[in-house]
Amino acid sequence: MKTINLFMKKGVTIPLEFDNVLPELLYDKSKEEIEQTIIYHGNQEEPLNKYFIVEIQGECDKADECTIFIDGDLYRVKYIGNRMSCGTIIANGNVDLHVGSMMSGGHIVVNGDAESYAGREMTGGILEIKGNVKEYCGSSYIGEWRGMSGGKIIVNGDAGKQLADCMMGGEIYIGGNCDILAGIHMVGGFIEINGDVDKWPAAEMKKGTMVINGKVQEMLQSFKLEEKIQNPFIHDKYYFGTYNLYSGDIGSKGKGHVWIKEH
Amino acid sequence: MTMLEYDEEVNNCVCFCCGNNCDDITYLLKDKQIVGIRNACRLGASKVVCHPDQRLLNPMIRNEEGILEETTWDEALDKVAMLLSESIRPLLYGWSESSIESIKKGIKVSQLTGAVMDNSSTIYHGTTIQAFQNVGHPVTTYGEVKNRADVIIYVGTNPMSDHPRHLSKFTAFPKGFFRQGGRKDRQVITWDPKFTNTAKISDDWIQFNMNEDYYFFNALRTVLKGQKIDDEVAGVPKDKIMEMVNIMKNAECGVIFLGLGVSQTLSKQRNADILIRLIEDLNSYSKWSMLPMKGSLNVGGFNVALTSETGYPYGVDFARGYPRYMIGETTTIDLLNRREPDVFVSVSDDPVIQFPGYSIKHLVNIPVVQIGTTWGPITELSDVVLPSTNLGIETAGTVYRIDSVPLYMKKVVEEPRNCHSHEWIFIELYKRIQQLKCKGDN
Amino acid sequence: MEYILKRGIVFDPANNIDGEEKDILIKDNKIVEEVSNNAKEIDISGKLVMPGGVDLHSHIAGPKLATGRLYRPEDIRKGIKKASFGGVDGFEAGFSVPTCPATGYRYTRMGYTTVTEAAVPPLEAKDTHEQIKSIPNLDVPTLTLFGNNWFMLKFVKENNSQDLMLFISKWLKLTKGYGIKIVNPCGSEAWGWGKNVKDLDEPEPHWGVTGREVIRELTKVNEKLGLPHSVHVHTNDLGHPGNYETTLETFDCVKDIKKNKNVSRDQILHCTHIQFHAYKGTTWRDVSSGASELIDYINSHNHMTCDIGQLTFDETTTMTADGPMEYDLFKLTGLKWSNKDIEVETSSGLIPSIYSNKSPVSTLQWAVGLEFLLGVNDPWKIVLTTDSPNAAPFIRYPKIISWIMSNEKINDMLDNEVHSWATRRTSIAAYDKEYSWNEIATITRASPAKILGLNDRGHLGVGAKADVSVYDIDVNDFDPTSLQNSSVIEKKLLNTLYTIKDGEILVKEGNIVQLVDSNHIWCNVKGLEEREEDLINRIKPEFNKYYTINYENYGVCNHFIKPDTRIDVEYGD
Repeated sequence: MKTINLFMKKGVTIPLEFDNVLPELLYDKSKEEIEQTIIYHGNQEEPLNKYFIVEIQGECDKADECTIFIDGDLYRVKYIGNRMSCGTIIANGNVDLHVGSMMSGGHIVVNGDAESYAGREMTGGILEIKGNVKEYCGSSYIGEWRGMSGGKIIVNGDAGKQLADCMMGGEIYIGGNCDILAGIHMVGGFIEINGDVDKWPAAEMKKGTMVINGKVQEMLQSFKLEEKIQNPFIHDKYYFGTYNLYSGDIGSKGKGHVWIKEH
Repeated sequence: MTMLEYDEEVNNCVCFCCGNNCDDITYLLKDKQIVGIRNACRLGASKVVCHPDQRLLNPMIRNEEGILEETTWDEALDKVAMLLSESIRPLLYGWSESSIESIKKGIKVSQLTGAVMDNSSTIYHGTTIQAFQNVGHPVTTYGEVKNRADVIIYVGTNPMSDHPRHLSKFTAFPKGFFRQGGRKDRQVITWDPKFTNTAKISDDWIQFNMNEDYYFFNALRTVLKGQKIDDEVAGVPKDKIMEMVNIMKNAECGVIFLGLGVSQTLSKQRNADILIRLIEDLNSYSKWSMLPMKGSLNVGGFNVALTSETGYPYGVDFARGYPRYMIGETTTIDLLNRREPDVFVSVSDDPVIQFPGYSIKHLVNIPVVQIGTTWGPITELSDVVLPSTNLGIETAGTVYRIDSVPLYMKKVVEEPRNCHSHEWIFIELYKRIQQLKCKGDN
Repeated sequence: MEYILKRGIVFDPANNIDGEEKDILIKDNKIVEEVSNNAKEIDISGKLVMPGGVDLHSHIAGPKLATGRLYRPEDIRKGIKKASFGGVDGFEAGFSVPTCPATGYRYTRMGYTTVTEAAVPPLEAKDTHEQIKSIPNLDVPTLTLFGNNWFMLKFVKENNSQDLMLFISKWLKLTKGYGIKIVNPCGSEAWGWGKNVKDLDEPEPHWGVTGREVIRELTKVNEKLGLPHSVHVHTNDLGHPGNYETTLETFDCVKDIKKNKNVSRDQILHCTHIQFHAYKGTTWRDVSSGASELIDYINSHNHMTCDIGQLTFDETTTMTADGPMEYDLFKLTGLKWSNKDIEVETSSGLIPSIYSNKSPVSTLQWAVGLEFLLGVNDPWKIVLTTDSPNAAPFIRYPKIISWIMSNEKINDMLDNEVHSWATRRTSIAAYDKEYSWNEIATITRASPAKILGLNDRGHLGVGAKADVSVYDIDVNDFDPTSLQNSSVIEKKLLNTLYTIKDGEILVKEGNIVQLVDSNHIWCNVKGLEEREEDLINRIKPEFNKYYTINYENYGVCNHFIKPDTRIDVEYGD
């Protein structure tokens, strides 16, 4: 096991871009090499040690065994774990945009909130966010109709608008509430929301499954209430209580399922 | 009333007021100055004729006492070049009254300085562009509306007030090839929470609840698919929705014009998004298209110029040497709200009028450069002011109409003695920044 | 500047030079017989030398491209490449709809110097020329869309060939166009009402004119004016099973029209992206190749030529002035659909398209294209195109060349890579032709230049334009027919050793070293000016009534076409 500890020296207002700080790129590097890793600050390229103190513990010969631990005032550090394929990243604090976007493997834990675009176009791996996430969590890049296709996003707090736009596969668990248009353009995959959901979840959904354990402010006209089921088995487990099964979105000739718990 | 005296007429000019780019404007000149204008609407005419006292005539730099002081072009340009070359997150915003030619020069400067380049799409029709990118782009040119359309729908837009000649010159009123009766051959419908001036002249007005655009459009689509809906959706009775769908299905050729009332409400880009889906569905029955009602002179042109050079329509970030585009990350309001930019260049627009207060607050803390023609709120915040010329009056250049039809604007009169075109300003800036960079490298 | 390109292996089919070791002498912008002692020598011993590439049909600039880029940021993102360090070329972006600068860089690296922009709606011609200004290093002739123009339809309906001729001649001047393009004649106009015409003889709903009449009348006008290029036709019914019959009828419908005696080309009709027009059957379930019948026709007739529109297995963007066809595609795939109708002139549409070697239909289309490449006997009758980006982006030309030079490669693909429809529903497996370098030079250089009527290029004879491409292939020690070499061919043809245009070195040892402004090539008919003015005076009231811009603001002014090459055509009654 190798742990790379990065302690942020002081906060920044112009964001740092962290897409070079990945286990697969750093697991076999020395402390000095890691200190010289390029990060981006506005239009400048800077060495990592300008903003971070680097410490290393242990050794490893596989990227999988490498953990990067980032601590400090990270609210302006973006692209953490962008395109990550293996290993672990643990960020202590609130992080900026694009955490875990396009990740294909490995494990990211954010002990705080995440900004928008967390887990965008993810294909694999696990992204855990202990706080809230903002908009477009697990969504697709603008214009792309093939969104998140694999992996798992677990958010303990609330999620912002337009969660999981164009989701094709994988799983998303939201512990708290969800803003409007959750699961818009969904074509596959599974979303579980434990809190309440603002207007119009699953709009223009084609396929896939969404389970809502809280209340829904308003369903679209294009969803049809199919049946009421007690303690249904959905995806991989039993849900206890009475659930209303909606199908839709009829406007898009969709055959998706939305399960909403009766309160 | 005295007769207007003039000694020269310049015909077939393109109006520089709004995105409709009416191209039948006549300027009346006396002693090489504009003294009158024909064919323009009140908005267009007033933009040309009014406010000569607010015209910026000389470059200015704010001195240590905080007062804008007139200076030479050399000093002002050097100062801007220095600001831009030292900045690590510069933002060049505006361009809606710049020609394609000058926008291209601006792109070069942005690239050289690793800047973000953006225009007012970010606050106006950027969401519609997002919808185009997400689901499709079924548009048309004005002439198709004039010649063919028998159903015209205005949603969340009020052209009777914002684009006064829009209905009379391009859409509802003129006689078209297949619509020789003009207005009486067409049905004009307004969907709007408010009873606007456009609603007044429409055959029908459908009022839906604020922020429920998406809900309403979705219901239309659901009915079109033959499904049942509730008795009232988004404040609109079911019968009204059924009737509307019927009208749309049976139109020979229909067009939807959408405005900021759709693009900037709760569901943002998804409003246009579902309208596009509706249009896609309707094309199985008849012919339907849409057009966003863009406001300013060359907003659309900026999108075209930027896409041909960089691939992306607005909010392009050159920080890494190649273009990046991410709404919420590289768009002006978000950048300002996140307090990122350290130099702000405003080209021809006045962001202080357009932006929310919280965003403007950041401009107080960073160097601001205004490149523009008139004294406005942005001038009060600016550290350097570069006086420019009016496109289509003092400078020639290319602009794109709302429907992307390109037009070449003529030069009508000489520019004020010490003002320069945007193109010239950006060529000069490019040279100076490059020199600074070369010095830095040595 | 003077250059001697020393001891390259030269393929110049127009001058019957088939792989001879030969020096190419360049003075200023021309190939010459002699140079002074000051000439700079460039040693390219044994390397493959051809004239600069000529693309006969591509979409590189104009409103369709603007839309494609605007609404496909996901495609732009795919082709992002940082600027070369210390080079003159900047960043690149886009795969199927690259940015203007990237388009120029990529063509230049492939050794192409002339690229035809194949569809320009007159109303937005300024946009096309404005974008060409952003593309470096090419000569660009533009083809103006006439096949659904209301004035044209009116003149055809009235049988008024005189006014039609004046109209075309004037409109080429207004749009700075090079030739006549016809796209789905009458069908795109019917799309104004959400309709289409199904074949050559279904009349357009309002004017009652048929596609056959439009193609015949415009061909007659083209020959009467003596334009350097023939009419350039995208026939009706593109991309539908069973359309090969319409294509055959289109081939045949102009056969009796006499070619103008002053032109150098052989054809009076050029049918473009023939691959999309060669399907048998009634639905996509029972579709099969209709190439054989069309190939037989092409082999036995000399009045027409065609380009291929060869497909490769990529995700690309289709874009055409054939609006109804794009809506049909939308109904098939459901991907994001773009449509833009242009007043009085045409419609147009775009849709992303995913061609996969696992998909039966894509594979069939792929095989049909290859059938034409391998089946047409005379390489002077065909041109290699992909209708870029419709069937594939233009950067796939080298890949296609690597296929048709190696029978082994095609068989390998048939056996291992592609869906079985290729062998079951087409005759591709029956062909064993392999292209020689000379034939490759023909279908990418000599033949397109001749078909376009641009006699100063496509060959390396004395007096020709000094457009030369040199590839890092040692011709005599290289076997293009072997399977292993096919990826080598692709790599080498994507990156020239030298690209020379107008005697200027643009690519040197694989790197772009110079950027020059692209040249707008247009056609100017002389001798009809007064009669054109008379026509304008007659049609102006109608023009100003039905267009939404004034006639005075309609034409492309000189501002948009610097630098340009005006090709004067003397009209002789």
